[in-house]
Amino acid sequence: MSISRSHLQIIQHEADIAARRLIRQLRLPYDDLGDLRQEFLLDLFARLPAFDPERGSIGAFAGIVMANRATRIAHKVKRDRRLYGAVPASLDATLPDSDGATRGDLVAEEDGLAAYLGQRVDAFAEVEHRLDVERGLGTLDPNDGALCAALSRTTIDRLAGGGRGARSSLYRRVKDIRLALLAVGLRAA
Amino acid sequence: MISAITKLPSVRLRINETDLCGWIGQAAPGDVLEYYRGFLAMDTFSHGTRLPERDRAELTRLARRAWWAGEQKLIHLVQRRHGPDDYSYLAIARLKPRSCPASLSSLLLAEVA
Repeated sequence: MSISRSHLQIIQHEADIAARRLIRQLRLPYDDLGDLRQEFLLDLFARLPAFDPERGSIGAFAGIVMANRATRIAHKVKRDRRLYGAVPASLDATLPDSDGATRGDLVAEEDGLAAYLGQRVDAFAEVEHRLDVERGLGTLDPNDGALCAALSRTTIDRLAGGGRGARSSLYRRVKDIRLALLAVGLRAA
Repeated sequence: MISAITKLPSVRLRINETDLCGWIGQAAPGDVLEYYRGFLAMDTFSHGTRLPERDRAELTRLARRAWWAGEQKLIHLVQRRHGPDDYSYLAIARLKPRSCPASLSSLLLAEVA
């Protein structure tokens, strides 16, 4: 879809207004203005084919698209602030009066981001989990074990496409495998 | 003339297959679960059941899963009689088997090969 120069000016103006408004509302650093403006424009260009001149002006269309985008950005910023705090702090920042120790040195691995996101940081727990998985796989039919191994590398759709069975039958087997593993104490990740 | 016909007690499905698997997975040895009360042989039979069709199908899956877990030495299967056509079907958790017949690495390698 081609876009006229006057429409482009309107769009750029709308993006500028939306970015400034968001920075003011969320109290973001002024340096983010360019990034936000670009994000609004990219989103709008992707949606431009849906613009119908008979239903309204390009300015109104851009305003609605950018308002929606601004809401999603605001949610993301608020979620990040809930997770990481309002003011981001670098783990590499040196602590005052600490003889060169950084903030990261004070954070135990169990309190780190990896652990927060579900990754195991305890080597003993990892080994025990691996033994549990192997014990669980031992209770499965060898064909089901092979299916588990295949699913660690690909998807059911691809397996079905590759002639490993019908999708519905593969999903039934996966459901059965999950229940069998649950019975030996392995929950889905 | 038949003067007294024993009325079958009503039954209902308390847990499903997933609940049973979850319980087996976290149960300590000796823990007991009554996974069904009724008359399993009759209640899983399509013409003799006292359960709605949906529950009957779930009960069939539940019973098969309990049997499978018994075969895998995860539980003991026991039943207790309360009266005519009225049994408690119990699962008693066993020590989890320690053997490890499957190797994760060999499975993954076999898949790559």
